[in-house]
Amino acid sequence: MSKKAERQLSRRDFLRGVGALTGALTLESVTGSRVEASETEVAPDAVGVLIDLTRCTGCRTCEAACKAAHGFPPPDGGETSLSADTLTYVDVRENVEGADGPLHVKRQCMHCVHPACASACTVGALHKTPEGPVTYNAGKCIGCRYCQYACPFGVPAFQWEETLGLIAKCDFCINRLEEGQQPACVSDCPTGALKFGKRRALLREAAARMDTHPDRYLNHVYGEHEAGGTSMLYLSPARFEDLGFPELGSQPIPRRAEFVMKQTPMVALTVATAASGLCWLRTRREESGACVEAGKKERTKR
Amino acid sequence: MSVTTRYPERTRPAPITVSQIGIAILSLLTFTGVMAGIWRLIVGLGEGTALSNAYPWGVWIGFDFTLIAFSGSAFTMASVVYLLQRAEYRPVMVPAVLAGLLGYAAVLFFLFLDLGRWDRFHHFILYWNVHSPLFEICWCVLLYTTVLFLENSPLVLERFGLEKPVELIHRYVIPISVAGLTLSSLHQSTLGTLYLNMPHRLHPLWYSPLLSLLFFLSSVMAGLSLAMIAYVAAGRIWREAVNSELLGGLARGVAGVTLLYVSLKLGDIVQAGELSALLAFDRMSWLMGAELGLGAVLPALLFLIPAVRRSRRGQVSGAILVLFGVLMNRFNATLFAQTTPSGETYSPNSIEWLSAMGIVAGAVLAWYLAIRYLIEPEDAAHAVAHH
Repeated sequence: MSKKAERQLSRRDFLRGVGALTGALTLESVTGSRVEASETEVAPDAVGVLIDLTRCTGCRTCEAACKAAHGFPPPDGGETSLSADTLTYVDVRENVEGADGPLHVKRQCMHCVHPACASACTVGALHKTPEGPVTYNAGKCIGCRYCQYACPFGVPAFQWEETLGLIAKCDFCINRLEEGQQPACVSDCPTGALKFGKRRALLREAAARMDTHPDRYLNHVYGEHEAGGTSMLYLSPARFEDLGFPELGSQPIPRRAEFVMKQTPMVALTVATAASGLCWLRTRREESGACVEAGKKERTKR
Repeated sequence: MSVTTRYPERTRPAPITVSQIGIAILSLLTFTGVMAGIWRLIVGLGEGTALSNAYPWGVWIGFDFTLIAFSGSAFTMASVVYLLQRAEYRPVMVPAVLAGLLGYAAVLFFLFLDLGRWDRFHHFILYWNVHSPLFEICWCVLLYTTVLFLENSPLVLERFGLEKPVELIHRYVIPISVAGLTLSSLHQSTLGTLYLNMPHRLHPLWYSPLLSLLFFLSSVMAGLSLAMIAYVAAGRIWREAVNSELLGGLARGVAGVTLLYVSLKLGDIVQAGELSALLAFDRMSWLMGAELGLGAVLPALLFLIPAVRRSRRGQVSGAILVLFGVLMNRFNATLFAQTTPSGETYSPNSIEWLSAMGIVAGAVLAWYLAIRYLIEPEDAAHAVAHH
């Protein structure tokens, strides 16, 4: 029995092997954590919707308009969550501090400036258009549901009742927009709680409303900076965290993962080079010829 | 070399009843699992599972991520033998690389059941999104499963006396191993990157900018540990003596990587200011305590003791503890440490459990049968003796 066979795998061997990988991956992970806070870049012509909670009476006309526009059966009573055939609904919030009566919060896709759903989507079925809407290509989707985890607003819904299920979410009525119309919910809103327009103009409008009635509004437009900004902008008399809005920083959700993903070629190259080099060094030390020799030895052995 | 001979009379017939009962149970589980899986494919995910919009991923994804980490047995052992040129570890590598292939095969079955549009399984080849961690994982799993097929194919090819292709694979075994290690370090770490897109959902004790690195390191820990268990099990099936020194050497490796993992994880918790959450003794604190304390700190310390590394009981218990810790980690990240604003809960239904048990049982059964009937115990023994 040769001495070689008795030798144990020393800690040094492991560190040498794993060390190279660890180095590459540490670099990838640590630098990934140092992504600068983003400056939100929004296309100047990007559209949005201003949702003024002080003007909403909870009539739910938007729910019915949305269902009609998307060919879903009309709602029976009020919806209480987003689902495969409810792309928007009015969330009723009772006893909220700062509001006289119940507040009605219209929920739908926020159409983020930097959508995490689109970044996460395995097959690129979700897509951010420069005009603002985040669209969904049902023909590509494999139904993996990663978008449901990536979305900080819990928007994408899955068709649980289908044998071959897909994702459903508000599409900003992109077909109507292309025909020069407004989204169905905005068109049918009887109280002016919803206002469609260029995102920049809507932000000016929101500032003007808050200036004119500082008693009526909280001095915060939800969606201006949240997670890097959203196309849907909310004005409220009450604090947003009391209305079920997540507290998100101004950092776009997908920045961190995207930074790490960008290092993929570098990591692959580093690992492959380090592994080949290591193998070559070890073979040379053992004076048993080139790396490929290992294969020949293998065969004679069997 | 001093080898502990557990079964001195190699001609003694195997205790047939025990293995027969085992095969029967595994076959039954596999069969019910296949039935449950077909049922799910017919009725869809709504009726077939307990998943919901609040918990779109369930126990299947937990098994996926665990199995991928455990299947790290293949790339770690192939790297030890071919890249670190430690040929004496070859008897450990053979069952470990086989377990890796069957682990990835199981993952493919799980993914198939989990996809809403399983008929579009191939779409990641047609439609690319390079930002998506899942896109990268899909490609790496596809390519790496190919690597595992190549690495395992001589077992079958040699049975049919096909010398040519076997020779070709042996000739390129180094580049194949380099490819395996590269693909593995990519997707094992990207499974962690996947969670970077969920800062709003994953509990801060688990969410970390180091997730990619931590997932890679824990796959090395789990891979080496599974290789140890697979080697001991294969020895029993072959009625061959197991080389305790090899197991001791691997235990040292596990201790080193696990200590590195623990120090990074603890350092990260302290740096993130989450130490109070770790010591809060609430649900999350206990979950992290179990996976990190029982599943990493304890086995790492045990494996630092030479007497533990030398004893079979010590080797096996340490490896099982590490596997438990990594299993906990993957299930915590997918399920238990996921928070929802609505406070909804998820508890898997019987179809999910039966299909999961079936897939795992099928992989174990296939591994057992291959070890027993496809691999000559002499191969492994010779690999130790004649190098």
